[in-house]
Amino acid sequence: MRTLVLDNEAVHALLDADHPKHRVVIAHFAGVVSRRRRGRTVTVVVPTAVRVEAGWDRSSPSSATANRFGVGDESLDAPSADQAARIRTAAQVSVADAHIGVVMQTLDADEIVVLTSDPGDMERVAAPKRVTAIRI
Amino acid sequence: MNIDDVLDEIRTLLGTKDDATVNTSMRLPSALRDAAALAVEHLDVAASTTVLTTAALRSAVETAVMGAALDAHYRWAPHARPTLVETALALAAQDGSPLAALPDRIEQAASEVLAYRPDADADDVLLWAEAQQAARV
Repeated sequence: MRTLVLDNEAVHALLDADHPKHRVVIAHFAGVVSRRRRGRTVTVVVPTAVRVEAGWDRSSPSSATANRFGVGDESLDAPSADQAARIRTAAQVSVADAHIGVVMQTLDADEIVVLTSDPGDMERVAAPKRVTAIRI
Repeated sequence: MNIDDVLDEIRTLLGTKDDATVNTSMRLPSALRDAAALAVEHLDVAASTTVLTTAALRSAVETAVMGAALDAHYRWAPHARPTLVETALALAAQDGSPLAALPDRIEQAASEVLAYRPDADADDVLLWAEAQQAARV
């Protein structure tokens, strides 16, 4: 099972069809669909703190298209908020990136792939878990 | 209903947290039902045939919605449609393949595969590129 995680830049690129990275992100989604059609279990998730930072309000009409791409929300609960706080302090990253770290550390997936503008930060917040960080 | 409304309605239904179940009039070939029961009992594929069937059905519907959503997006924003090469490169990156940094190889593989299989998908291209790569070593 593979899970793709979106960071702030990836969400911006997804939401805006005129974003310079939009097509790159869409290519990853097309790849997900291709793999799923071949029977692989591949999901795409966004940490809710990333949605906040990127301004992805699912109830907004402007989000209608992105809402249809099958991106699941990963929310913070009390224990994961504690874990995110520790990651934020240790790695000196944003709240959204700390939430990404928690998601990557706790996801029950064999392979975790993160679409990001900063692979280095993503590998730091995911540690000790190994992830594939793709610069978009 | 237009396609966007259909996709929204399906996603809403898929996202509904509802433990209620229904007995459907869906008819399964009896041999398939028996095969599924054996797979559940001996191959550890799921907790029950109901779980197996539900998961497979959910996955198929989710995939169909994702694909239809992309197609609808391409109609509205044709410039957003990635090429076969771009999709193969994305998959190579997701796989952590060194081919992700070799777009020329992917492009070459795409042209070779498409000559034989005009309906090839990104995985066909990636597989051929990987085979060519292995042959070089």
